[in-house]
Amino acid sequence: MRILVCIKQVPDSTVRVKVGADGKSVATDGITWAISPYDEYAMELALERKDADPSTVVSVVTVGPSRSRDALRQALAMGADDATLVTGAAAEAAGGIALGSALATVVREIGPDVVLVGRQASDDEQGLVGAALAHALGWPLLTNVERWTGDEIWRATEGGHEVWKATGPAVLSVQRSEKEPRYPSLPGIMKAKKKEIPEKDLASLDGGAAPSPSVVAMEPPPARGGGKIFKEGDVKQHAAAIAKALRDEAKVL
Amino acid sequence: MNVLVIVEKKDGEPRRVSLEIAAKAEELGTVTAVDVGGDRLDPGAAASALAERAKAADLVLVGATPFGRDLAARLAAALGRVYASEVADLEAEGDGLVAVRTMYAGKVRATVRLPLPAVASVRANAFPLPEGGAPPKTETVHAGGAQKGVEFVRFEAAKESGGRVPLTEARAIVSAGRGLKGPENWKMIEELADVLGAAIGASRAVTDAGWRPNEEQVGQTGKTVTPDLYVALGISGAIQHLAGMSGSKVIVAVNKDPDADIFKIADYGVVGDLFEFVPAFTEELKKVKKGA
Repeated sequence: MRILVCIKQVPDSTVRVKVGADGKSVATDGITWAISPYDEYAMELALERKDADPSTVVSVVTVGPSRSRDALRQALAMGADDATLVTGAAAEAAGGIALGSALATVVREIGPDVVLVGRQASDDEQGLVGAALAHALGWPLLTNVERWTGDEIWRATEGGHEVWKATGPAVLSVQRSEKEPRYPSLPGIMKAKKKEIPEKDLASLDGGAAPSPSVVAMEPPPARGGGKIFKEGDVKQHAAAIAKALRDEAKVL
Repeated sequence: MNVLVIVEKKDGEPRRVSLEIAAKAEELGTVTAVDVGGDRLDPGAAASALAERAKAADLVLVGATPFGRDLAARLAAALGRVYASEVADLEAEGDGLVAVRTMYAGKVRATVRLPLPAVASVRANAFPLPEGGAPPKTETVHAGGAQKGVEFVRFEAAKESGGRVPLTEARAIVSAGRGLKGPENWKMIEELADVLGAAIGASRAVTDAGWRPNEEQVGQTGKTVTPDLYVALGISGAIQHLAGMSGSKVIVAVNKDPDADIFKIADYGVVGDLFEFVPAFTEELKKVKKGA
């Protein structure tokens, strides 16, 4: 089986993100970049299939600026077999629908049986690429996938999981893996360094122009703090005071 | 503008978020509301069933539930429309719309312009529910079956999940972390949640440890929540957790560690033993709710 995992490089989760000088983008100086968390789960799900059946080939692709090569290197170090970078002037700003059709071209070239995407990238948080890719391919899409064992695909729904089967190629949008995404091993890192990462020009793929929202302004979320914190004293009395305050001051009861 | 509101039903009743967006849609234009009732709906089949109607609308609004988010993205993809997910505010401007949504795991609030036609999924509690307003008249669109190429096999219910309001729509949430020490201590959390009519949330440490089901996880790789009241018990406040809940209106935090980051965003906090706090708080809330 061949699995293609689509990943995105984003600011690391632990980074404090700041709005840039233009007031409508994020300041990129000093940012540590990483594979988006849901994409890491997708990587882990794919690599677990390879653990179970070593004949499985795991390919990985990203669309992004040239620094995204580091995310691919990381994916190779985790255990992916090959990686493809799609880049170009429009790579950073491309919307979900354009990305979906560009990735569909890559899928047709690579020929995987299953494509995995993360539920959403942790930067724009749109969660559109999986749907756009499935639509462009005419493949079914199963979302919120948390487990894939044997031929069973478990997708989380409210109150539990639906178990599905795919009868042909499919796109799975991954929300979690049972095990935490693995760290690259030292031999994995050494091997990844030697691998060629072919590059494709986004403009040469059938991306086309697709409408997407434009960011007009960005700001930090409203500041919080200055709350009433009881640092010592009788906890039970504080509980009583807060219960009353929730009703009388905060009016949320 | 012509607005199509897709009403999601749960146990035969429209979900609160659907009513919120239907009320908001009335401000924006001429509204058509359809519902896609039924359990175990395949969002792919639902998107196909709704595509023609969505095509005729300038704006399609869907509540950002797990089903709704999925459906909205598929409709945007199928129709090639401008799309914004998990919108927290929405206004008409010029011949388009301006939406507010969080990005970078809640660390940034972005204002985005959406030229029409567009599709948006909208977060619960983004718009007020008018009191005494009649639910919108809806036409039912039947969306049975599944997408081509996949087959539904069975449903596996989560053991712990029972009868509570979904996290993303809850007006109150009681959320607990590693400070609870073990899954056997959740009874007091449930009692507190019962008094508040609250949903139960958890930190990632707790869901990773298997103490609670994954669907209760609040934070970057879990749910983003926006309740009126968020009670954080034994949660230190990792940046990924704060990203998922700092949009709550009022935050109450209890933690042993006076330096816990959760206190930096709390409106009310107690540095102390939550095993002492929680039962007392539950009793006090009962009294206060009775008017004492």
